[in-house]
Amino acid sequence: MKSQKLNRMTPYVFMAPAVIIMGLALLYPLAYMIYGSFRAWDPSQNISETEFVGLKNYITLFFDPAFRESLSVTLTFAFAVVTAELAIGVGLALLLDRNIRGMSVLRTLFILPMMIAPVVVGLMWRYMYHPTVGTINRTLKSMGLEGVDWLGQHALLSVIIADIWQWTPFIFILSLAALQSLPRSALEAAKIDGATGWQQIRYIKLPLMMPVLIVTGLLRLIDAFKVLEVILVMTEGGPGLSTEIIALRISRTATEFRELGVAAAMSNYLLILLLILTLGMFVITRLQEARAARQARQIQEED
Amino acid sequence: MLTKLKRMALGASTALTMTSAAIAGPYDAYEGTTLVVNFPAQPHYNAVMKILPEFTKETGIEVEVDQLPYLKMRERQTLELGQDEGDYDLIAYVVFSKADYVYADQLENLARYFMNPKLADPSYDADDLIDGYVYNIGFAGGNKGYLQGKTGSLFGMPYGSETSVLGYRKDIFEKHGLSVPETYAEMLDIACKIPQLEPGMGGLSSRAASGHHAAHAFLLHLAPLGGRIFDDAWNPIVNNKAGVQAANALKKIIDCGPEGAASFGFGEALGSFLNGDTAMFLDTTVVAGQIDDASKSKVVGKVGWAMHPEGVRRGSQTGGFGIGIPKNAENKEAAFLLMQWLTSKTGDKLVALAGGNPSRFSTHADADVNAKFPHMATFGEALKHADPDWRPIIPVWGKINADLGTTLSKVLTEGLDVQVALDGVAERTRGVMEEAGYYTWQ
Repeated sequence: MKSQKLNRMTPYVFMAPAVIIMGLALLYPLAYMIYGSFRAWDPSQNISETEFVGLKNYITLFFDPAFRESLSVTLTFAFAVVTAELAIGVGLALLLDRNIRGMSVLRTLFILPMMIAPVVVGLMWRYMYHPTVGTINRTLKSMGLEGVDWLGQHALLSVIIADIWQWTPFIFILSLAALQSLPRSALEAAKIDGATGWQQIRYIKLPLMMPVLIVTGLLRLIDAFKVLEVILVMTEGGPGLSTEIIALRISRTATEFRELGVAAAMSNYLLILLLILTLGMFVITRLQEARAARQARQIQEED
Repeated sequence: MLTKLKRMALGASTALTMTSAAIAGPYDAYEGTTLVVNFPAQPHYNAVMKILPEFTKETGIEVEVDQLPYLKMRERQTLELGQDEGDYDLIAYVVFSKADYVYADQLENLARYFMNPKLADPSYDADDLIDGYVYNIGFAGGNKGYLQGKTGSLFGMPYGSETSVLGYRKDIFEKHGLSVPETYAEMLDIACKIPQLEPGMGGLSSRAASGHHAAHAFLLHLAPLGGRIFDDAWNPIVNNKAGVQAANALKKIIDCGPEGAASFGFGEALGSFLNGDTAMFLDTTVVAGQIDDASKSKVVGKVGWAMHPEGVRRGSQTGGFGIGIPKNAENKEAAFLLMQWLTSKTGDKLVALAGGNPSRFSTHADADVNAKFPHMATFGEALKHADPDWRPIIPVWGKINADLGTTLSKVLTEGLDVQVALDGVAERTRGVMEEAGYYTWQ
């Protein structure tokens, strides 16, 4: 009887170290943040000395125009960069999915931007965008065109361009890997049936790549919501609040405004937003899979 | 006879030992102590690093320096000061940290050290310290809670403090027969004349980037033009006539400034002056060293210095750093000795000669210092008008400052009306102050 009980316990004993590590490393900080978001918390205070304020931090944020503007900037930024990066990254992958001489060198060159530290990327673009000594305006002026006030009048567009430059390679490399692992038989069958290059992309390559693209897009989306350093270095959130994405506002709230409770509440809003997006993506993928399975069943039944 | 001689010798040596014990140096008890201090990586503190070996040689007290980027310092100090026993014996703090540290009871009141005859050097001459700096950086609990006054007390010493001065291109001014501006009207007039006289050159370099930079630039003009953020009852008055004038002055400076001036942070503003793209620079004194450094500057020898122009009054900024002893420090007395040595007449002169910012009037007037840095006399004169209240030092200032800076950035880049912008700031500031309890007595 006793040994039976012990036997039943065995899997839990084996799982225990992982559960403990997971609890300590993941759940404890998360719980700490959630707990902190219900308190008026100054960084000089120990959390036990802080005052419980209920949902006040969340309510204040909900009605705070600056936070709402940040949220809207974050959404615009994230969706713009992910859409552009997906379009360019997948496009490049489709173009370069062939045997070209020196392909491996090209591929390495393409992924260089994402290996550069974000602060360096920020600094590099900031100087390239510089109104007088920046490469971009100097080139424009040498071509007889007017210089553009990149970080003043077009700040959000400028940070979007920098992010696209840095992260398109991520989509490119994963799309290329997905493309190269597609079943050759399907493509050959399409060719035999006389499908044009565009038809192959539209009806075979893209649908087969879709699961990878969804995950890649989701990963980039999550990352785009949290981008901080590049924008901090390039614009510090300005002009006005035009490039102040939520991650930057969280950092300023914690360090400049010294309101850790509000910063924690803001992080939780971000977390909820990302959870909704992830769940949404998950549901879409599930629906697509179910539809594909249904179609497959129908085809089988028709046969 | 021999025994007598021996006895006399013994007596003499005992007396000598006793006398030497009685006149033991003030540092003897702390010899061998190692102090851990937290300083920023900044021109003044780079100069301090050069003079610290002198302190160790003189006192036998070792100093271990944890030098951090100044924006990182606050985060580290918040963690350190909150512990029961901290790692730091002495910290340099940015002026706006004063309110938080003192309010959280994390800095030592310096009275008990200056009262201790074994520690306080009678020749220290505290009256020689620059008043504005001491009140701005060291005092708390006086007028408005953060200034000097009958209820105030000293919690830190100014060290690496700065004020604002006007740098101008002597060659450009001479070429066009311009005289150095004494007043705001003259300065703004010249700032907008320069782009016409010297095509491609901006009038005055100023910070303007969203947030802290824009707020700082606005505050530089607010005090001389007669404005304040709050009245004596903490009502926001930033949107009054003087506030609007200050914001308009900033807008004019940016409009007549170099290309892209609206997105300049401090680095870009200084960079454009060093690069010869602007004719004037109105900001901190800390840049003087870089302007005369040929490896960084294209305008070596071409820059003259004048006092921050006068509006309805004189009022240059007070900022920079102070040094204080954390409540949880391990070697408080030795830390005080280091603090006293650094800010003494000798220490102040040494650091000034090494390229730092002196904290004493006498150092600014010192012949050796002026021989090496001829601008020091002008800076000393400017310091007499340093305004300790040019910016409120209250715990909620960070939030108000950020709002002010982002709103002004909208004025500069998006054409938001000045009055509307400042009315918005005043209204939101009132909300912040209300929540922080500043209207409890109204």
